[in-house]
Amino acid sequence: MDVQHYIESGILEEYALGVLSADERAEVEQVAGHEPAVARELAAIVSGLDAYAEAHAVTPPAALRERVLQAWEDSIRETEPAATPVAAPAMPAAPAAPRMTVAPTEPAAASVPAEGEAVVRQLPAAASAGRTRWLIAASIALLLVSGLGNYLLYNRLKKTENSLELAQAEQSRYAATQQAALNERDQQLAILRNQSFKAVELKGTPKAPEALARVYYNASTKAVYVDVRNLPALPEGKQYQLWALDNGQPVDAGMLNTDTATGDSIQQMKNIASAQAFAMTVEDIGGKPAPTMSTLTVIGNI
Amino acid sequence: MLLVPAPPPDSVALETELLLVQRLRDRDEGAMTIFYDKYSAALYGVILRIVKKEETAEDVLQEAMVKIWHSFPSYDAGKGRLFTWVMNVSRNLAIDKIRSKQYRVGSRTQPLEDSSAALRLAADSSFRPEHIGLQEMTRQLNPDQRQIVDLLYFGGFTQSEVAEELNLPLGTVKTRARAAIKVLSKLVR
Repeated sequence: MDVQHYIESGILEEYALGVLSADERAEVEQVAGHEPAVARELAAIVSGLDAYAEAHAVTPPAALRERVLQAWEDSIRETEPAATPVAAPAMPAAPAAPRMTVAPTEPAAASVPAEGEAVVRQLPAAASAGRTRWLIAASIALLLVSGLGNYLLYNRLKKTENSLELAQAEQSRYAATQQAALNERDQQLAILRNQSFKAVELKGTPKAPEALARVYYNASTKAVYVDVRNLPALPEGKQYQLWALDNGQPVDAGMLNTDTATGDSIQQMKNIASAQAFAMTVEDIGGKPAPTMSTLTVIGNI
Repeated sequence: MLLVPAPPPDSVALETELLLVQRLRDRDEGAMTIFYDKYSAALYGVILRIVKKEETAEDVLQEAMVKIWHSFPSYDAGKGRLFTWVMNVSRNLAIDKIRSKQYRVGSRTQPLEDSSAALRLAADSSFRPEHIGLQEMTRQLNPDQRQIVDLLYFGGFTQSEVAEELNLPLGTVKTRARAAIKVLSKLVR
């Protein structure tokens, strides 16, 4: 066989694309089986198409996993032979065919030979009445048990509904909080990305050489934001205060919230009309009109 | 154009595939969860590319999983990888779906030519880094080749049907298909 001609006929591509009939497929497999060159070519074609298929991968919606696996499991249960052929007699006997008249009496009839259908019918009336009474009693008992069961199940359902409601409320609260946090981050990000904001590095003074903070200052809108990298922990009753230095004059730019001081959040400070430098001092909670220079922690020029 | 070729399936991946095949052969039901996690994205992506509608794609993926399980005994590992086999089962189901009555209404080729939609779809997907992305692959194919591969692979057309559809001689279709598939296999070699 002319191997090259066979390869060039395009039949291997058609095989890989799955458009051949079963006979044609078998033939290709047979040829590939004893012509290594054909087998190699076929493998390359298949792996090329596999890669093309895989390049189209799209992660299915997460909820689909459960659904698909469930459907698959259901299909196994359906098709596999019923493991318990005895299940049928366990069904309620009432609507069954006339032949089944013996069935409801199972407990009472236990001593009666199984094939004694006719015999049972011919039992004396007294025994039959006794059985009827027994049946009524049993039915009432069943009804009561069933009622109690329903009541318990109903209670449990209510409880489940309640906890579901709680969980849903909890979840929407959580979502709302997350959304709010996300909006805040978005705003902060917009500030950081805004060209007109100038970043001012505030470095630690010899008192606190590790301290580091950054001020974002927009000279045209006067907006000031502070982003703390690292500040020494504060003693009880103290707060960091930001100052803008304008021609050597300190101007109060506001107090840093606790989460700002720990670096967990970026905070907008007071608007500042003009500044050449920013600095932070440690002051009593609420701040001071003038900085306590001995507590100067970080400072930086614009 | 420099392209980093995808490495051949490394031995670990091959081993997991072989183990999975063994477990499926043993009718180990736990294997199906692993199977889903490993293959669902690839199967769903191709099914979606064929049927276009997410809702239909979900149904077809479900059918495919059931079918793969039930016809697994007919899978012959000697004839090819598990991936190839399950991909073909899913692809055929999806193609049967679009060939069924309710899908015949629209034009057959028009959605396939909407390559921007395909790229959008692909952009959403989570590519596994060891595989060449769709964009790189399609950049290697010229539009004619791509159209033919897509008609053959995603449209379920035979080469003769493609020739008829595109009004081209059968020989041209065969040459282009061969060239296109050659490009694809070179990328993974």
